[in-house]
Amino acid sequence: MKGSIYHLYIVMKKDLTEFYRVRARLVSMIMLPILLMLLFGYMFPSSGSITHIPIAIVNQDQSAAAIQVINSFTYMAQSGSTFNVITYASLAQAQQALLQGKIYAIVIFRPGFGQGLQSGAATVQVIADQMNPTLDQIVTNGIQAIFNQLNVQMSLTQGFPAQTGTVSVNFQGLIPGAPSSFEFLAPGFIAMSMVMGGLAGLAMTFSRERELGTLDGMLMTPISRFSIVMGKAMAQAIRGIISGILIVILSIILFGVKIYGNIFLMSLIIFLGILSFTGLGLIATSFVSDQESAQMIMLMIQMPMIFISGIFYPVLQLPWWLRDIAYMLPLSYTVSAFRAVMVLNAPLSAVWTEVLVLIIYSVVTFAIAIPLFQKMVTK
Amino acid sequence: MDKVSFKVKKGEIFGLVGPNGAGKSTLLRMLCTVLRPTSGRGYIEGHDIVREATEVRKAIGVVQEKLILYSPLTPIENLEFFGNLYNIDGRELRKKIMALLDDVKLLAVKDRPVGTFSTGMRQRLNIARALLHDPRVVILDEPTNGLDPQSVRWVRDFIVNLKDHGLTVILTTHDMYEIDELAESVAIMDRGQILEIGKKDEIKAKYGVEKIEDVFLTLTGRELRDELSGRLKGRGW
Repeated sequence: MKGSIYHLYIVMKKDLTEFYRVRARLVSMIMLPILLMLLFGYMFPSSGSITHIPIAIVNQDQSAAAIQVINSFTYMAQSGSTFNVITYASLAQAQQALLQGKIYAIVIFRPGFGQGLQSGAATVQVIADQMNPTLDQIVTNGIQAIFNQLNVQMSLTQGFPAQTGTVSVNFQGLIPGAPSSFEFLAPGFIAMSMVMGGLAGLAMTFSRERELGTLDGMLMTPISRFSIVMGKAMAQAIRGIISGILIVILSIILFGVKIYGNIFLMSLIIFLGILSFTGLGLIATSFVSDQESAQMIMLMIQMPMIFISGIFYPVLQLPWWLRDIAYMLPLSYTVSAFRAVMVLNAPLSAVWTEVLVLIIYSVVTFAIAIPLFQKMVTK
Repeated sequence: MDKVSFKVKKGEIFGLVGPNGAGKSTLLRMLCTVLRPTSGRGYIEGHDIVREATEVRKAIGVVQEKLILYSPLTPIENLEFFGNLYNIDGRELRKKIMALLDDVKLLAVKDRPVGTFSTGMRQRLNIARALLHDPRVVILDEPTNGLDPQSVRWVRDFIVNLKDHGLTVILTTHDMYEIDELAESVAIMDRGQILEIGKKDEIKAKYGVEKIEDVFLTLTGRELRDELSGRLKGRGW
């Protein structure tokens, strides 16, 4: 006896075939994200309001001079309220935190820093998170400014021993070479195209089938409601992945974007992201019966979600209450994890929190959506 | 629905008629297991429509007013989709599809998208879809609505053919001529209640009329109805 999974596959295959046949839908799925990508491709958000950016200090020197510079740096960084300085015991720990998005830069005082300073010149190394160009610029400029100020103080021997040298800063990114600025926006656009496909797609396909009467046709066959919902959700997930792949290819061709991460991990994040969105979309539209209302509801959810989930500017730039809302949305986790993997080659261990949140989101939203779907179809 | 109770004899054509908003579609949706009744019981082929919904779904074939077809797909793809949902084996399904397409005279256009079909062609395919899994009961909700006279004739002959093959048919329609021509038993519904039920000829004799339309108008009135749909009423419109 063929079971739920087989029926799920049949529903999914039908949805994909139908979607492929209606060229207008296919074209809009491809064109809309591309159009948005071209419109926003070179847009940079303003950055004035970013404060308390978490950065790390790793001290590998332990000399008195290094400790003194670190204390002064920490005091200056935090008193200006631009940064929150966190001390890490090892560089590996700090790098992991950088990949996880917990910090935005690592200031490393290498062994021999103190000695170098006493003999005239020392260098600190800064590894910056390049995932958002705006934030990257603020962080690197901010750190450079603090060291410039420290150099002035040291030359005037304000609080420092006489004949203290100067500190130069060596910036380096996690990505080799000079990345294209669009490289940082591309993961966000891919995630956004998923939102459009996943969140709106499932809700729209249900309301369309309900209006046409074909949903009744499926409900009158001996298949479970679970197979109908999940079959359609899987079709949306596949559509989203295809759409994501197309945008990645276009980003590579048009903007020279490079992929540093694992394709399978990227696909897993996309897949989980879409499932989260589809569940959410189904819940949101289970209270309406027509396509137009479903469209309106989807728009109301989509637009704010796109603008506060860190696609165009860092979540850090948002006021605390909006930041809390952003952290409740699956798009924030999808964008953050997808960026980290695609741009920074982050391994699963670095993005497991986001992956876990997306799995929980998918399970919970579908656990709510399937009974709601039952109710919706029997209204 | 209010105290609706009726039985349909195996192998007969049962006509269910009533003005707009009488509750016919709601009743049919309950029988088709799409709507869950808040109280009462219903059985099709001995299966409870709530507790044995899956068995009921296997037993019924439904032709709704809205066509249950996907326009971008071809007739074969549409029938394959629904056949797979009924777990019909691949080779057997293909054979059945070809036979049904031949029956409904659509074999020549089997690879064309349904969206390019006329209303009559779509309805014929819709009927083929409903018969794909060899149902024992066929529920037809206004099957000739909007069809040209040739298609109407074809659908009516097909309904008689179903009866001749021993299938039970439940037919709703606003066309009283259709009921007079096809149905053996009739139920006249209004405002969620059955006003009259029985053998068609006995009902006509009871009211001393020649046409079922006269019984219908006697029971439901001749004045025009302005029924709001349930959804709008619920919103206080």
